[in-house]
Amino acid sequence: MIDLVEVSREYQRGTDHVKALDRVSLHVERGRFAALMGPSGSGKSTLLHILAGLDRPSSGRVVVAGRDLGGLSDDQLAKFRSTHVGFVFQFFNLIPVLDARGNVELPLLLTSLSKAQRREQAETALRVVGLAERASHAPNQLSGGEQQRVAIARAIVSDPEIIVADEPTGDLDAANAVEILSLLRELRQDFGKTVVMVTHDQRGAEYVDEIHQLDKGVLLDAHSSASAEGAS
Amino acid sequence: MKFLPFIWRNLLRNKLRALLTAGAIALAIALVCLLRTMPDGLNLMLEYFTSNTRISVHAEAGLVYPMPYAYLGKVRSVPGVEAASTWTWFGGVFRQEDGVSFPSFATEPETVGTVFEDWEVPKEDLEAFRRTRNGALVGEMTLEKYGWKRGDLVTLEGEVIPLALEFRIVGVIPNIPHFMLQREYIDQAFRSLDPQGLSWTGMIWARVDDAARVEPAMAEIDALFQNSEVETASETEKSYMKNFFGMLEGLVVVILVVTALVALCIVFIAANTASMSVRERFQELAILKAIGFNRRLLFGTLIAESTVLALLGGILGAALALGLTSVAREATEGLDNTLRPLASFVVTQAILVQGVFLALVVGMLSGVVPSLGATRRSVAETLREVF
Ligand SMILES: Nc1ncnc2c1ncn2[C@@H]1O[C@H](COP(=O)(O)OP(=O)(O)O)[C@@H](O)[C@H]1O
Ligand SMILES: [Mg+2]
Repeated sequence: MIDLVEVSREYQRGTDHVKALDRVSLHVERGRFAALMGPSGSGKSTLLHILAGLDRPSSGRVVVAGRDLGGLSDDQLAKFRSTHVGFVFQFFNLIPVLDARGNVELPLLLTSLSKAQRREQAETALRVVGLAERASHAPNQLSGGEQQRVAIARAIVSDPEIIVADEPTGDLDAANAVEILSLLRELRQDFGKTVVMVTHDQRGAEYVDEIHQLDKGVLLDAHSSASAEGAS
Repeated sequence: MKFLPFIWRNLLRNKLRALLTAGAIALAIALVCLLRTMPDGLNLMLEYFTSNTRISVHAEAGLVYPMPYAYLGKVRSVPGVEAASTWTWFGGVFRQEDGVSFPSFATEPETVGTVFEDWEVPKEDLEAFRRTRNGALVGEMTLEKYGWKRGDLVTLEGEVIPLALEFRIVGVIPNIPHFMLQREYIDQAFRSLDPQGLSWTGMIWARVDDAARVEPAMAEIDALFQNSEVETASETEKSYMKNFFGMLEGLVVVILVVTALVALCIVFIAANTASMSVRERFQELAILKAIGFNRRLLFGTLIAESTVLALLGGILGAALALGLTSVAREATEGLDNTLRPLASFVVTQAILVQGVFLALVVGMLSGVVPSLGATRRSVAETLREVF
């Protein structure tokens, strides 16, 4: 599902080069729940953005869902994201002027679905995350955990194969974090999604199938998570 | 179209700001619409006051120099001249303390109705004026000022012709202050002072049957009196106001410049709003990009936002201008005659369309720079700054 070969990403900062990613090769199978872990500044977000088609590598090959992203124009990348990838970020996930349903419906505006179909699909997604009865609440009327669940509903509403999440639990208390982690796990379990999550959260390790450690832009050997091994 | 609710929500994100901006645009568009009525309005006003087939004949030396009264007959015989009347300044004073507070002229009652057709004096009044030797046609403005009405007897004391005479008001001239008397009556009375009677006149007004014959008729009249004791100068009533016209052209240029500046000003107001509203949601825009909104779409929704706002302001402003001029027209209709020309300023459909269109352009222009800035930023970079 996700295949990165010798991917590097350099940033120019003044006169010096920052190597955010150094010849990273990453492989994630379809239907797996993968975690990217590592210290702050190790390149996790950069890697996530590249495999989700939000950013382009300085060199290397990125093939996701059967597409070589290097060959796509900006507009084609946007189209790729809207059909294949769902996003969950740490904060500011939701558009404050839209209610939960409106937020979840957003990606569907890019499709040819009718208004009724959009609404129905958004409500289904909200049901999956357990917030069907909160559909007409504005983001500021929802708790942090609920907001993240709405973000997850939005990420799955157009039924993409891949869900990427950048520190989705970073801003949450323990109980809410656990809820979000189980929800992501469910997406993989019940819907066969491929999920890639950046996390600091040691608890996260218990929910994922595999962990990829990054350090200073270099990918250390991947190892399967203990709990995942027990589970599968 | 399906993005419209989304655009609308974004617009209402800061209601006060949207309201203030729309209000500023509305006022500016109203101002532009009103300014746009001025060039046509001023012209119309001038037309209202003048007639293009009326010639004024006076002594070449100036208006205060008299011409022999016999000139009237000669002017009447010029081809194309339909009718002609003299005006001889009587200088009537009603109350000594007011001095000359309205113009009073002696004229020929048979022709005054034809020469000053545009005065729209009722037929019966003209007829009564002809029949009544001491009759007077009195302008509405003067009637109102002194509270006179038809049938009243009014005594005026002439400043130029030193006689105190009693006149009976037999008719009304709408909208002007003039007090018109029978020349015959003055002439007779004047014989007590001078057996020659009124042998002069200050001005002759001639009505020409066709606007195309005005120029030849004027040339012929002036030729008639060349080398005679008093030479004449003829002018159309409009050219009589030529100076005013010259001023008018300058005024129109000023008006157009001010209009352009006002338009520019609202572009800045709207652009300020657009850039504020874009700046405060870079992170949201980044989310939208991540979700798959491409640049064109994002740019489109942002531009649509500023355009909708400006358009609403524009429609409001155009309606305001229309309302103001309609109210002005209604208020002045028949009420206060000096204000009547205000009715000349009409917000036409074309002006309304132009106003709304201007708002549309303003909205699009004002959105371009901030929207471009927002859509050009790379997603990953924006996300980095925020997350
Ligand atoms: N746009 C950028 N300009 C310069 N340096 C950047 C930029 N984006 C990321 N970096 C650098 O790349 C490295 C990796 O960043 P990031 O992927 O955000 O790390 P993480 O998500 O693991 O904390 C950091 O040293 C960061 O400072
Ligand atoms: Mg990060």
